[in-house]
Amino acid sequence: MKRFLSLLLTLMLVLGLCGFAQAESLPTITIMFHGSNVTDDSAVLEKVNEYIADKVGAKLEVIWGTWGDFDEKAANALTTGDSEVDMVFTCSWSADEFNTYAKNGFFEPLDEYMEKFGADLKAALPEALIQAATVEGPDGEKHIYAVNGFKDTATQNTWDINVTLLTELGYTLDDVRNLGFFGWGEIFAKAKELKGDSFYPFLVEPAVAERMVTNSIIVTGDSGSVNLLSYYLDPADVTKSDAKYGDVLLNKFATEEYAAFVKQMREYYLAGYIDPALAVAETSNDARTNAQKDGSYLIGTQSYAYGYEYSPEVISRGVEVVFEPCTDPYVDTTVSQGAMVAVSSASQHPEESFKFLALLNSDPYLMTLLNYGVEGVHYTLDENGLVVFTDERANYSPWTNGMGNVTLLPDTQAEGAGFREAFKNFYASGKAVPILGFIFNNEPVANEMAALTNVAAQYALALNSGAVDPETELPKFLEALTAAGMDAYLAEANAQLNAFLGK
Amino acid sequence: MSETLIRSRKAGKKSAVRKKNFWLDTMVLPGTIWLLLIRYLPMFGIVLAFKNYKAQRPNTFWNNILKSDWVGLKNFEFLKSPDTAVMIRNTLGYNILWILLGLVIAVAFAVMMSELTARFMAKTYQTLMFFPYFLSWVVASYFVLAFLDPTSGMIPALQKASGGQASNFYHETQWWPLILTLCSMWKNIGYSSVLYLAAITGIDTTQYEAAAVDGATKWQQVWHVTLPNIRAMIVILLIMNVGKIFNADFGLFYNVPQNSGSLYPVTQVVDTYVYRAYANTHNIGMSSAAGFLQSLVGLICIVAANAVVRKIDADSSLF
Amino acid sequence: MSNAAVRKIKPSTASLNRFGPGTQAVFHCVLGLFALLCIVPFIFVIIISFTSEESIRQIGYSFRPLSWSVQAYTYTFQLGDQLWRSYFNSFLITVVGTFLSVLICFLYAYPLFRRDYGHRQFFNFLSFFTMIFGGGLVPTFVICKSVLGLSDNYAALIVPMLFSPFNVIIMRTFFQTSVPMELIEASTIDGSGEYGTLFRIVFPIVTPGIATIALLVSLGYWNEWFLSLLYVNKNMDIIPLQYLLMRMQRNADFLAKNSSMLGADAAKAAAQMPSQTLKMALVVFIVVPIACAYPFFQRYVVAGLTVGSVKG
Repeated sequence: MKRFLSLLLTLMLVLGLCGFAQAESLPTITIMFHGSNVTDDSAVLEKVNEYIADKVGAKLEVIWGTWGDFDEKAANALTTGDSEVDMVFTCSWSADEFNTYAKNGFFEPLDEYMEKFGADLKAALPEALIQAATVEGPDGEKHIYAVNGFKDTATQNTWDINVTLLTELGYTLDDVRNLGFFGWGEIFAKAKELKGDSFYPFLVEPAVAERMVTNSIIVTGDSGSVNLLSYYLDPADVTKSDAKYGDVLLNKFATEEYAAFVKQMREYYLAGYIDPALAVAETSNDARTNAQKDGSYLIGTQSYAYGYEYSPEVISRGVEVVFEPCTDPYVDTTVSQGAMVAVSSASQHPEESFKFLALLNSDPYLMTLLNYGVEGVHYTLDENGLVVFTDERANYSPWTNGMGNVTLLPDTQAEGAGFREAFKNFYASGKAVPILGFIFNNEPVANEMAALTNVAAQYALALNSGAVDPETELPKFLEALTAAGMDAYLAEANAQLNAFLGK
Repeated sequence: MSETLIRSRKAGKKSAVRKKNFWLDTMVLPGTIWLLLIRYLPMFGIVLAFKNYKAQRPNTFWNNILKSDWVGLKNFEFLKSPDTAVMIRNTLGYNILWILLGLVIAVAFAVMMSELTARFMAKTYQTLMFFPYFLSWVVASYFVLAFLDPTSGMIPALQKASGGQASNFYHETQWWPLILTLCSMWKNIGYSSVLYLAAITGIDTTQYEAAAVDGATKWQQVWHVTLPNIRAMIVILLIMNVGKIFNADFGLFYNVPQNSGSLYPVTQVVDTYVYRAYANTHNIGMSSAAGFLQSLVGLICIVAANAVVRKIDADSSLF
Repeated sequence: MSNAAVRKIKPSTASLNRFGPGTQAVFHCVLGLFALLCIVPFIFVIIISFTSEESIRQIGYSFRPLSWSVQAYTYTFQLGDQLWRSYFNSFLITVVGTFLSVLICFLYAYPLFRRDYGHRQFFNFLSFFTMIFGGGLVPTFVICKSVLGLSDNYAALIVPMLFSPFNVIIMRTFFQTSVPMELIEASTIDGSGEYGTLFRIVFPIVTPGIATIALLVSLGYWNEWFLSLLYVNKNMDIIPLQYLLMRMQRNADFLAKNSSMLGADAAKAAAQMPSQTLKMALVVFIVVPIACAYPFFQRYVVAGLTVGSVKG
């Protein structure tokens, strides 16, 4: 018995020492990314940890969230105060997570760390991006709540035009421009004539088409799944609001511009120019992707990112494609909060986490390593120093734009030399919309928003795609919105906007 | 018999009872541990329905729950929506219809299968009936789509071929109560009929023989032997289904109609409403409130149903 | 009456105890039609899995594709390790989970059926109440993860589903309908302990019930994917096949929902998504083993026919 006890004591001592020894070694920090397709990260993390051991003083672990599961996983980690997840990807386009989480205290304010360890980071990021990540916290004050990714930081909606087919029909890009959305009927008719009854020339994403035709922008903090608010820009000068309405938020569905848009869509739909599959939420994306892959469309909608026309996805369509912009690239709140990484307020290692993020976003070696993988394994360099991916890349494909400062990345062979430089310049030219920085805090009208979201989901897509008759459905829709509390919602939004603009 | 002997016998009986209870206690022990840890311990979370959940310092789940503000019934205000009446009507309406329909069909199928002389065929039917259980609603929705798709679907194609106007199913509400009912039966009948079938196979066969000797026809045997014997199972399943009367099968109402907005008047149920309203915002308070409400309605219904059953037939009641 | 006697009587009365051929034919029609309805969608899945992608792009999902292709299966096999690994995980989780779950259910339900058990009401309520009321997803997640350590391990994919009040009630009902109390009393008088009675006397009588519960539980484990989403963060080596499939599906859903916000990134990601045909091939992979396992359970359900007559 005595021997047993002493054995037990020794064992405990040894275990205790092990624990102690471990505490002495580097702490582990964990980051959760979005949109990854990674099955084997061991080679990369080994190199990363070698590199950051001294610079950051921590060991990195990564949770490779996928598109479908990230939101759920991140929400679980953040809201349950999971101290095992130190950093998470965050953004404002997926149901406004960033601003809500920041406001509710789930993110760690980074101002202090930025002062102490952020010199390199500040040099690497445009001031506007740091500003965009500076939002209201639980104390009502503004703090830096995330390290903002330097990626495609301006929005530009474009008409995606199949030039091969257009030429075949005897039209030019100028014709498309001059006729405009309301006058494309004759081109569509010819396309339909040529390609047959099962061809649908107008391949729209209805909600995007609505913004493009009415020149409205997304209001950050508005209902995420179906937008309810519009802010109209002057298409000739995106730094100004539309002269007719001024600096005001509108009920998206109550303007005469909207009525004209849905009337025209209805006409196109009835004429058979729009695939009915686009009018149903769950079938719409598949239908669009499929038609794009085949190049079987004439005009589509596309929210543009620099260099998209040279991407393999577009080239493989097998037709000549031109993206015809509606406006200059503009910077709104949503796009300026497009991809960030925040530190959880449950993290035990906020300082190491920040140091890591600062390094990742300012050090080309680390960014390239974590994003593109290990040289010689996941990619090689060709004679011009351009990146060529190997087959191993299939096992390690994080979401490039979701990681941070992508301007640090080397050019790939597919993109061509000078791509990142041009990319940077293109986005530097983005112009700020008048309400840049405005974030609608929907908490006071959360219940109205819940009801309105359901009403809008019922009508908006069907109307936007022309599947139902606006003559009868639009009035019903507007009535239902009013019944669900649209007036209160709109009033609250405008009161906040006025306060923001200092009116 | 001396007094002491009686006393010691009583004591012996008592200790036997205690011993029996002890051994039976050990049997429920594993399940009890599981229930306490995984079901009862998290029940403190019900308070979330009445709180405005926010991160506190330090940010741990317990601390956040403890220190977040009480907000009374504010989280339940999603019920103030004008859609409330529609979603409650749909949820209850479909559930009541399907509980009754499902019961009749599943029992009928189970009886038929048990009475088939060709055992191999009976087994085959039973196996095939389980296939829908493996196909998720997403997959089932593709199947439905193949029939209803406005451009390439089989039914619109038939309509066109016969010179008629093709229906635009995903924007026409009148078809969907029927389609959803068919889908629900398709998916769930196999599951419940196997329960009834197993209950039927447990019936003592001598009962049938006695009935046959008394000159009962086969139909009379089904009525007087089979059904009374599986009554307990029928009642139990019925009561349990009633308890879920305010819950809906999300995928059936979301994926099968392809989340088509135009169909909401006949496809909006509590679960889809809450999902559309709050899933994107990950508002724990709201979803807890909805869950709490569903449980509450379920509890009331179950207690009521059980009370009714108890009045009629105390043996079959759930508790 | 002894077993042998029952068996002897059976054939002689069997003819009186059957429906006539006409009625049987009607039964076959009804059941056959429904069975057909159940199998056709699965055949449809198989057809899609062999459909060429072009055909899907052009005419959507159809029973008569324009052209055929085995590409989906070639891709599936290219998943290689990941595929077989998750296949193995599915089997492991299902077998271990079903065994433990049925055992716990059996043990819990038996005392609830015993009228002479003193704590019957209490434990009955303890289990039943949780069927209606729960703490909700998030609190349960926190308890499982941070208190019980169910995270990135097989236990996390098994333990949260180990017990089902529904199954306990079903099991209890099986006891009630097929086990006579006298039998238990008799066996107790014979000096058999509680466990002895349960496993030697009661167990053989309720095999149909146990097989049924085992079937339902194994279906549940085989189909389960949400636990993987909740509890598996880093150790992707333990995910089951169903989750592999659901992850693809959920990726596509997310991109569909957010495409207008994600713009070109969504279009790029959507173009790289595994095809519909691949998903359908995975569905085939998921359904076939469990469909093959079904007759195994069924044998026990049917075996009850003869054993059940013991109580006469």
